[in-house]
Amino acid sequence: MPGEVMIQCDNLTKKFGDFTAVDRVSFSVDKQSIFGFLGPNGSGKSTVIRMLCGILEPTEGVGRIAGHDVSRETEAIKGSLGYMSQKFSLYDELTADENLQFYARLYGLHGEAMQKRRDELMELTHLEPYMDRRAGLLSGGWKQRLAMACALVHKPSVLFLDEPTAGIDPVARRELWDLLFELSSAGMTLFVTTHYMDEAERCTHVGYIYMSKLIVCGAPDDLKQLPAVNPAGTKRLDVNCDHVTVGLRAVRKLEKVRMSTVFGQSMHLLVDEAMPEQSIRDALHAVGIHEVDIRPIGPSLEDVFVVLTRQQAGAQS
Amino acid sequence: MTFQMPKFLRGFRAILYKEFIVMFRDRTTLFFMFFPPMLQIIAFGFALDNDVKHMAMAVYNEDRTTESRQLVDAFVNTQTFRVVKEVNSVAELEAMVRRGKAYVGLEIPPDFTRKLHAGQKADVQVLVDGSNSTTALQALNTALGVAFQQSIGILLGETGRRELPVEVRPQVLYNPSMRAPNFFVPGVIGTALQIAAVFAAAMSIVRERERGTLENLFVSPMTRWGLMFGKLVPYLCVLMVMAAFLFTILRWVFFVPIHGSVAMLFVAAFLYIFALISLGLLISTKAESQNEAMQMSMTIMLPSIFFSGFIFPRETMPWIFYAISTLLPATYFIELMRAIILRGAGFLEFWRHLLVLAVMSAVLFSLCAMRFKHKVG
Repeated sequence: MPGEVMIQCDNLTKKFGDFTAVDRVSFSVDKQSIFGFLGPNGSGKSTVIRMLCGILEPTEGVGRIAGHDVSRETEAIKGSLGYMSQKFSLYDELTADENLQFYARLYGLHGEAMQKRRDELMELTHLEPYMDRRAGLLSGGWKQRLAMACALVHKPSVLFLDEPTAGIDPVARRELWDLLFELSSAGMTLFVTTHYMDEAERCTHVGYIYMSKLIVCGAPDDLKQLPAVNPAGTKRLDVNCDHVTVGLRAVRKLEKVRMSTVFGQSMHLLVDEAMPEQSIRDALHAVGIHEVDIRPIGPSLEDVFVVLTRQQAGAQS
Repeated sequence: MTFQMPKFLRGFRAILYKEFIVMFRDRTTLFFMFFPPMLQIIAFGFALDNDVKHMAMAVYNEDRTTESRQLVDAFVNTQTFRVVKEVNSVAELEAMVRRGKAYVGLEIPPDFTRKLHAGQKADVQVLVDGSNSTTALQALNTALGVAFQQSIGILLGETGRRELPVEVRPQVLYNPSMRAPNFFVPGVIGTALQIAAVFAAAMSIVRERERGTLENLFVSPMTRWGLMFGKLVPYLCVLMVMAAFLFTILRWVFFVPIHGSVAMLFVAAFLYIFALISLGLLISTKAESQNEAMQMSMTIMLPSIFFSGFIFPRETMPWIFYAISTLLPATYFIELMRAIILRGAGFLEFWRHLLVLAVMSAVLFSLCAMRFKHKVG
């Protein structure tokens, strides 16, 4: 049932010697949601996942899956937890089929039940033509599907995916996300780490971790409404024009432009609300850009993370 | 009806299934498990023959009489020596030995026959290259034996007696021909099995750690005992096949007669291999990388080569090495092999050794499972 808390972290902390990998992270994930966990490399994403999966002891704090303490009631959560690690965790010497059978047996399936589950997963992931191929010889996308099938073999209610789309092609990436939505609508809770902003936009909820600390957490649309992202008396504009980098240099000189970045064929600006559009057009005309199309936009998730990261970095220095 | 696995062994069948497939697919590991032991047994069996025969001997015979030539013949007739050169000076004789052209130099002085007939003490000089103590000792003993026999012959003639007052009739039991392979090959089986078992097991868990598959095993409901038994059984099976192979070579390639019970040989091998795999798994749970596992295995195995009684007898070791030897599974296995194969010893005579191996297996294996943390990092 949506609204029911499936994953919960209270002040989850992990220290490796003097280094604090995860610093008092608290958040919760509702059942059936797709939770996107973002942050740069080494910010502590995988460490949080490992603690929640019960394979890394938290230094402080508590993680819970469906109400069970992950470090104390490890046995209780194992049956309901699926984990697809960054390295995919496949045995290269085994065929796809054998990998799948191995994980099935590991979760106590055998005989007809195993065959039935194998067929279901084969259909779900379209792995059929590759079942007899050695896992080591599969391409990245197929490896990822196989790892996915292996992680789903025991029908977990929570699935953790640690950078499932790193290094795979866009088609495989989109298909994976389709699969994630399918699983979510069937009642599964998904916890996904990623670097891709477009993937983050697809999530029902996102959390952003930076330098071991969780900076923000919530639904993407709510995060875009945060006051820090939309300072009072400002507005965001999309300015579409030719020679966008030349234009950007000119626009940055304007006093009322607070932030600016190139976004494909256009630039995104954060400007004072009182700033007339004409002043931007004038600045662009001055550098020889005449075709200019300006329209108001809302912040993207990237904007949210950039603002909050700068704020955090500023607070720390 | 399906057999229900006890709870503490959860995951055992899955690991077993996977390990068997991986083992036979991973030809390199299989090759490195089988090849070195085979090479070892063949090399040791053929090359480590320390019955030295026909050692090169240089002779400087200044006397040149029938008697002196008979003495040289007496040396050659022992089959320990063969004359490679007759030289004409002491300096030349010494040079032959120094350069390694001859192991032994025999110098018969010009007054040898004269003194012999005069009833005086006739001196003969024998130079022995002592750089290899084993061959030197044998050369020395044989030379003394020749001198002794010659003297006795003369004395008997003088006293008119036909027989010696005392005669020792030695009878060598258990390896009557004193063939080196009979002594060495059972020991080689011990060290060969050790190398294969410890290395293979030491790699098995740390490899999963390196590849990241261990994490997924930890997330699953698999238990530590399930993992350890799942790793143990396939290696145990393969190594028992290897043991059978090695026994076959012992019997049919080196023709070492097996005087005791063949079944007991396999019981001993089973317990020994169990202990070795447990030791390997213990290394594998402690090591962070395959490299580290390799180094730890080497460190643990080296003492076994020297202190297990494989080459040097334990009885003459300083107490500290003797103490080390009592901790090594190889010590007990090699003694068991020699007892069963060469002496035909029965169960009542060696059950203690079997018990020690069984206890070692149980302790090492339990340590693996109990001290293994179900966690990463």
